[in-house]
Amino acid sequence: MLESAELYFNVDHGYLEGLVRGCKASLLTQQDYVNLVQCETLEDLKIHLQTTDYGNFLANETNPLTVSKIDTEMRKKLCREFEYFRNHSLDPLSTFFTYMTCSYMIDNVILLMNGALQKKSVKEILVKCHPLGRFTEMEAVNIAETPSDLFSAVLVETPLAPFFQDCMSENTLDELNIEILRNKLYKSYLEAFYKFCKNHGDVTAEIMCPILEFEADRRAFTITLNSFGTELSKGDRETLYPTCGKLYPEGLRLLAQAEDFEQMKMVADHYGVYKPLFEAVGDGSGGKSLEDVFYEHEVKMNVLAFSRQFHYGVFYAYTKLKEQEMRNIVWIAECISQRHRTKINSYIPIL
Amino acid sequence: MGSMFRSEEVALVQLFLPTAAAYPCVSQLGELGLVEFRDLNASVSAFQRRFVLDVRRCEELEKTFTFLQEEVRRAGLALPPPEGVLPAPPPRNLLRIQEETDRLAQELRDVRGNQQALRAQLHELQLHAAVLGQGHGPPVAATYTDGPSETSPLLQSLGDPHQDLRVNFVAGAVEPHKAAALERLLWRACRGFLIASFREAERPLEDPVTGEPATWMTFLISYWGEQIGQKIRKITDCFHCHVFPFPEQDDARRGVLQQLQQQSLELQEVLGETERFLSQVLGRVQRLLPPWQVQIRKMKAVYLALNQCSVSATHKCLIAEAWCATRDLPTLQQALQESSSEAGVSAVVHRIPCRDMPPTLIRTTRFTASFQGIVDAYGVGRYQEVNPAPYTIITFPFLFAVMFGDVGHGLLMFLFALAMVLAEDRPGVKMAQNEIWRTFFGGRYLLLLMGLFSIYTGFIYNECFSRATVIFPSGWSVAAMANQSGWSDTFLAEHPLLALDPNVTGVFLGPYPFGIDPVWSLAVNHLSFLNSFKMKMSVILGVTHMAFGVVLGVFNHVHFGQRHRLLLETLPELVFLLGLFGYLVFLVVYKWLRVSVAGAASAPSILIHFINMFLFSRSPTNRLLFPGQEVVQATLVVLALATVPVLLLGTPLFLRWQHRRRRRRHAGPQPDEDKTGLLDSPDAPAPGWGSDEEKAGCSGDQGEAKFVLSEVFMHQAIHTIEFCLGCISNTASYLRLWALSLAHAQLSEVLWAMVMRVGLRLGREMGAVAVVLVPVFAAFAVLTVAILLVMEGLSAFLHALRLHWVEFQNKFYSGTGYKLTPFTFTVEDE
Repeated sequence: MLESAELYFNVDHGYLEGLVRGCKASLLTQQDYVNLVQCETLEDLKIHLQTTDYGNFLANETNPLTVSKIDTEMRKKLCREFEYFRNHSLDPLSTFFTYMTCSYMIDNVILLMNGALQKKSVKEILVKCHPLGRFTEMEAVNIAETPSDLFSAVLVETPLAPFFQDCMSENTLDELNIEILRNKLYKSYLEAFYKFCKNHGDVTAEIMCPILEFEADRRAFTITLNSFGTELSKGDRETLYPTCGKLYPEGLRLLAQAEDFEQMKMVADHYGVYKPLFEAVGDGSGGKSLEDVFYEHEVKMNVLAFSRQFHYGVFYAYTKLKEQEMRNIVWIAECISQRHRTKINSYIPIL
Repeated sequence: MGSMFRSEEVALVQLFLPTAAAYPCVSQLGELGLVEFRDLNASVSAFQRRFVLDVRRCEELEKTFTFLQEEVRRAGLALPPPEGVLPAPPPRNLLRIQEETDRLAQELRDVRGNQQALRAQLHELQLHAAVLGQGHGPPVAATYTDGPSETSPLLQSLGDPHQDLRVNFVAGAVEPHKAAALERLLWRACRGFLIASFREAERPLEDPVTGEPATWMTFLISYWGEQIGQKIRKITDCFHCHVFPFPEQDDARRGVLQQLQQQSLELQEVLGETERFLSQVLGRVQRLLPPWQVQIRKMKAVYLALNQCSVSATHKCLIAEAWCATRDLPTLQQALQESSSEAGVSAVVHRIPCRDMPPTLIRTTRFTASFQGIVDAYGVGRYQEVNPAPYTIITFPFLFAVMFGDVGHGLLMFLFALAMVLAEDRPGVKMAQNEIWRTFFGGRYLLLLMGLFSIYTGFIYNECFSRATVIFPSGWSVAAMANQSGWSDTFLAEHPLLALDPNVTGVFLGPYPFGIDPVWSLAVNHLSFLNSFKMKMSVILGVTHMAFGVVLGVFNHVHFGQRHRLLLETLPELVFLLGLFGYLVFLVVYKWLRVSVAGAASAPSILIHFINMFLFSRSPTNRLLFPGQEVVQATLVVLALATVPVLLLGTPLFLRWQHRRRRRRHAGPQPDEDKTGLLDSPDAPAPGWGSDEEKAGCSGDQGEAKFVLSEVFMHQAIHTIEFCLGCISNTASYLRLWALSLAHAQLSEVLWAMVMRVGLRLGREMGAVAVVLVPVFAAFAVLTVAILLVMEGLSAFLHALRLHWVEFQNKFYSGTGYKLTPFTFTVEDE
């Protein structure tokens, strides 16, 4: 990339950037959330959503309305937008889009393999798969018995293939191995995505790298947290950490030794970015969970991405913000449908 | 036309609608389109309102309608537009419509589902037939024909024990774009324990869902071993392949094939029957749906309007607040009475006082609409403010024409507009969807007047496609000049340019009766003559236009009862404008009338005089125009400068004085304060929307305490600076009249000289005038329309627009109101 990419960015990607900024403006506002929270039934929720940019996306749903229907329709809408972006994109950007879909593809593959393990039918699980990560060969994953089988038979032609280099093994795919596979895939995916953005340079790198660094570190924290009390050894744990974050290398080594939440927090205390996050976590009852705190931080970074121009980060940020918005709506809808209104306000506000 | 002078009186009325009669009343109001409802439940969110259930029911129905409409569209049919008057149905009919719609939708769904299922079945049968009929060769032979290099080692590696192992087959069809992926996956997953042959089906099959034809790929896989078979089945499942049993013997295959063909024939018959029934149902939908759609839309609109009403304490009636033109109040009353008579209790209307600024209502005709549109595009007038539109009807086309003056171009524009006006009632013209065409069509009367005025100014400039016309004999005589000065042949030969001296008797016989003398078009100093004329004309028109704007302000001040502003604002403004620039106009006219040809050599320069006027100096070389000129000039300048402090301080000081006096009066009888406040309000005519300045300072009676002198001062200072500087810059701005008319004349001149003149000369030289002139004239015509009419016309339009919006309207028009948008069904019908 040349230094002055700004000069001709708009030639190739100007239309899409304009479009995505327009889409971003249609995210629900604080006022919308205030109104949504007041809804008594899902029908009310639907009426209110009709006044926003969602329009009558639920118009063709048959009654009764359920949360999962809302969720599916919202996902479909996001997917339509994303496909539109993707179909109109030119090369570096289209690769960027492919990288974006990879994470959903990984999730889908793992979901399907888990399903196969529990002897569920493929159709049942297919509806749960994220539409952004859909690909033709996806349904065939259950014919594979080992990771290398999976790679050579099913995934060799998909964009996921390069991420497999670390996880070729002949282990049978039981639940733990699938989880390890997911994390290894994710690790190499994040590292590859990070490298792509870094090599691309310019504003894209300036925006995307911090976001991906945070993503990597979040994964490291989550892996650590989830591995407490499992049979995963500390050495294995360390191999799962993505190495493109701010924690790399010292933080990850410390994290690998951590044995409970307190020790994890001590590791985070060494980092200016994560210290306040861990301090914001409430204890047990009330307060926010670590997940929510991370989401909030992510939202903040994604919103900030829109303050710069001429970069691809806006597409990533938009998709993530939209996903967060969907999570919020689903949360509110769940609270409404289960009549559990006390926690309805703990959605993640999008600034 | 009288109603256009200012917007109509609009009153806030309260409607008491008995609960039983509320629906027919509002529905009747929707038909009439008289009132604009105010939302009395602004604080209540959409889903907590009273009639939300009914609205939701309407929406449900509309959803079903969309489904029906979509089905009709999918069948390639169109819905006819609804006919006749369709009032909003009474609420009890909603159930009937809902039932019928649901039944219709259910029927349609059933039939459609049947058809879908049958089609899918047929598709399946056809695929099966295609697979069997494809003749993938004798399957066993296929294993050998695939090439010895692959098959021979394979067979050997299987070894003898497997010799008796049976070869199994999987046959099926797959969508063409997936075929390659499937083949690769099969090969990778099964490591060559199979042989697959893929072939395109012979003829494309219609997709049962989309109806699009697609050529499917049929395949035949032969494999060994049961495990591989399972794998293959899983893979084919994942690619959504259609897999069919494949009899190995040729005869069996042929038998099955025949059976399939038989079945598909039967199926096609059933399918035809279903489709006939389907078209019957669709015909019913086509007949019933359009009127229902209109009715339900009206019903929903009524409920939405009802949602804006508040409920009275006794729940007996709904209270609505609405804006209604005072003129329409009797009609409103009558309409309400008629529609509530059935219920026994009649609806009541009564006016209520109001502090908010009422909406602006100006009724337009098809003629005035476009002019009102020009004004509204700048800003909708404040309530009862002087409306500039009636004057715009004349001034806008006129100022446009000053810039566009050309008889020929004006005539073309006039004829174009005339054609549109004459054809305006034709449905084809009215319904045209083209946006550009609609813009032109909407402004057809504007264009008509613009064309007319352009013809007029064209005659004044004496230009028709840049050529001068000789209607009257010219006022100049070359013969007289030649005779008097005794030009010899050698003199004529030496001097290509000759001057006509008006001082010689007989050369200048008198002014041309109308417009510019055609002789000027031959003169070299044509341009400098016209420039001087057009420049002065622009200034005269500009100052007149602006002074007119200031005078219009008088009507505003008188109407809003702010007589102090007459003395403190309008008068100083007029003095300032006329004292400086009115005087300039006077100088121009005076010089035209008083300075004759004889004194041309020593004619005074207006420019120098005007500059000296401000410098209070005199130049000895510049003769005075009239005796006592310097005294007059000095007086005018002093007077004009003296108006500035009046303008700046007058209104704020007056308001402060008024405010103090009022407060002192209020301070006396302390306990009655509330009452006086209430009593006062009807006296002072609408102080709330009286003026911006007062609003900034004190809004209504509560605002009296909040009178902020500094804000009023600030506002007035801005106004003063804007006006005084504006007088100078706006006068200069009117010079665009000169500039654009010059540009237009020069462009058409150039076009004539470069195209037509060249063509005519060329034609003469080549001797075939007509032949050459055809393409030349075509080019001339196209360029005339494209550049001179469209492009120049648009730019002149733009500048005329600016002169009206900025230079004219800022003298009196605030344009901060909002339009009355009555609740009406007519828009929804479209």
